Amino acid sequence: MLQFLLSEIMFPITCRLSASFIPANKVLPRCALSALALVGLSLSLVGCVSPSPATDGIASASSGKTVIDFWNGFTGPDGKAMDEMVRRFRKANPTIEVRTQTIPWGTYYDKLTLSLAYGGAPDVFVMHAGRLPEFASFGTLQPLDDFYAEAEALGEKKFAPVPWRATFYEGKQVALPLDVHPIGLYYNTKLFKEAGIVDAQGRAKPPKTFDEFIEAARRMTKDTNGDGRTDQWGFVFTWQRTNWLTIAGQFGASILSPDGKRSALDSPQNLRALQLMHDLIYKYKVAPKPEGVDAWLAFRQGKVGMALEGIYMLASLEEQKGLSFAGAPVPQFGPVKAAWGGSHLLCQPKGIAPEQSRAAWKLMQFLSDQSLLWARAGQVPARSDIQGSPQFGALHVQTQFATQLPFVQYEPLHPKSNAIFPLIEPGIEAVMLDIAAPKEAMRDVTRRVNQVLERP
Amino acid sequence: MNQHLSGAAKTLPRKSDGLTGVFFALPHLVLFATFVLAPVAYGIYISLFRWHVLAKAHPFVGLENYSAALSDDIFWIALRNTVYFVVLVVPLGNLVSLGLALALSSVRRWGTFYKIVYYLPVVISIAVVVVLWRWIYNTEIGLLNLYLGSVVGALRGIGLPLPPFEPLPWLSNPSWVMPSLAMLTVWWTAGGNMVLYLAGLGTIGDDYYEAASIDGANAWQRFWAITWPLLRPTTLFCLVFSVLGAFQVFGQSYVMFTAVQGGPVSGPARSGLTLALYMYLQGFRQYEIGYGAAIAYLLFAIVLGLTIVQFRLLSGQSEAKS
Repeated sequence: MLQFLLSEIMFPITCRLSASFIPANKVLPRCALSALALVGLSLSLVGCVSPSPATDGIASASSGKTVIDFWNGFTGPDGKAMDEMVRRFRKANPTIEVRTQTIPWGTYYDKLTLSLAYGGAPDVFVMHAGRLPEFASFGTLQPLDDFYAEAEALGEKKFAPVPWRATFYEGKQVALPLDVHPIGLYYNTKLFKEAGIVDAQGRAKPPKTFDEFIEAARRMTKDTNGDGRTDQWGFVFTWQRTNWLTIAGQFGASILSPDGKRSALDSPQNLRALQLMHDLIYKYKVAPKPEGVDAWLAFRQGKVGMALEGIYMLASLEEQKGLSFAGAPVPQFGPVKAAWGGSHLLCQPKGIAPEQSRAAWKLMQFLSDQSLLWARAGQVPARSDIQGSPQFGALHVQTQFATQLPFVQYEPLHPKSNAIFPLIEPGIEAVMLDIAAPKEAMRDVTRRVNQVLERP
Repeated sequence: MNQHLSGAAKTLPRKSDGLTGVFFALPHLVLFATFVLAPVAYGIYISLFRWHVLAKAHPFVGLENYSAALSDDIFWIALRNTVYFVVLVVPLGNLVSLGLALALSSVRRWGTFYKIVYYLPVVISIAVVVVLWRWIYNTEIGLLNLYLGSVVGALRGIGLPLPPFEPLPWLSNPSWVMPSLAMLTVWWTAGGNMVLYLAGLGTIGDDYYEAASIDGANAWQRFWAITWPLLRPTTLFCLVFSVLGAFQVFGQSYVMFTAVQGGPVSGPARSGLTLALYMYLQGFRQYEIGYGAAIAYLLFAIVLGLTIVQFRLLSGQSEAKS
């Protein structure tokens, strides 16, 4: 009930605030007060409730089944794969009832946060590696060290090292890594062949170095209908955050100082990376200005030669009729090897009842064991044994992207990561829109990020 | 309105009426106290603490959240954007509403039909409005650029020295974002004020116009000498409420930019970030509820100040009239 109040009533209230801009038919005092209704009302609901342990205690003795709730944000083709994995689990474990709730990522963390703070949290939930330190720093995640100690088959040796390290917070292991989803180069093989960028066998040849990349991009950027405007581009920036993290990583830039207390965004390495991103648009003119272009749609429609996107976008390309594409590792823009990646981790809430916890761990293990199915939906499994399997080897794009696993970089694994990205992104955007030079943009961003980091 | 109320009081002189009235108002009072007054008071309390949703302890910090907000340049960016939005929306919106009302008041056939048509957008939820306008504003395939393109093409066709039409990036260029949101808002809300202006026009007697016509006044003179001065109470009322409403703008920018996963939070280079939205982002995206509440109260103070000023204006006006 409370869960309902918090999540189902708060959002409409948020909307009411917007609805309150229907002028004229409002009573005056209400106008003045409604600005407060959003924060005020929701808080009063929140405030009335004492935090309680996470489960709602439905481990029903009557049916003899343990009921566990599982929350995730997989609304696309990945959701279908996840449903299938859970279905298999139910079949293999008739004594455990899994209730899955799929919440779009856009509101997923809002709901998860409130449930962890005020009760009604799920027994298993998905958490991105970049968000884990934040939730762990508030002590909301259940340590799983005992389970790992018992399950000898599921030790460090079974996992790729990068996601494995991301499951620890201050020495305690609080998650099971499901996958790694690195960024990679998607390229349109048809446009490559048309532009004559092929290897000895006549197959489209993806660029490996910056020079090859620029050369290929230049040859594919053109005005195909002769109206004086470029309508086919060599490259597009899709999600600026991941594109930037990749290129900045390749120049050796880090976001924060090694002790995590200061911004390092104004470092020469980062400025060079941003300058390069700017130059692709304004100097080399091989990418459109990021305005008025639905970049990913343009790639899907075959109007773009190359894009850097996450492996999870694979399904959206596979369902595109008439598009011939392939995947490759990110070309080498800077002196260091790096590619952005994320990971879906599986967690349990702190204070979960032992019975639920055990059942939840069973589900987590099962999902990990089944991650070949997960890989097909556009992921690289965190399990190195599954990565080495011949079935995974048959997945062409996944294996290409997976070669970057040793040097995948997450967003900073820092409790304030989520708080600083809304400050960083407008700065990157300003550079890409040619509103500010990299140096000025990053000076402002650095000042703001430092303010947030200083705040207790 | 005031006259009406005092008149009613005179005809109902019995003593018990006060209590009866309270009883009648009780259902609303209970809800109002529970869902508005109490939360508002609690909000003030929260704004004095460093209050992260997930944190176990909430230390008292006094007015620190307020001073932090006032020295936070993004707060000022949001305030500047909000003021810009108000300046764009209020005059334009009222001009459109007044124009519609003037046009419709002289329509004899199908008048009600047109009133409904122009009022309909007011009833639509903002989420739907924004999704609709996202397509209209689309740079490549949007209706607006299509029409503008053909207009420019036609003008060039008749020999005007115009440059060829470049599609305008309505939602992706920072300097276009607020005008785009304002246009959408005018379309969405104009019908509400139109109804008020129509009611105001209805109170102006035909005899004024008749007399003016006999004296040979043209349409413009009739509007300027009769309609405009006699409509002033309505105009002021509409302006006041438009300003208050526009200051709280949230949904347009939220649905257009912030609710989209992976998109820039409230528009390119923060160009669509408004105060109400910044409050939401701090409270519900960063979970810093104390800080969000402080921003809410700063917005409250601004709106309250404006309300007082405008109330003075309004009451001065009605006194002058009586």
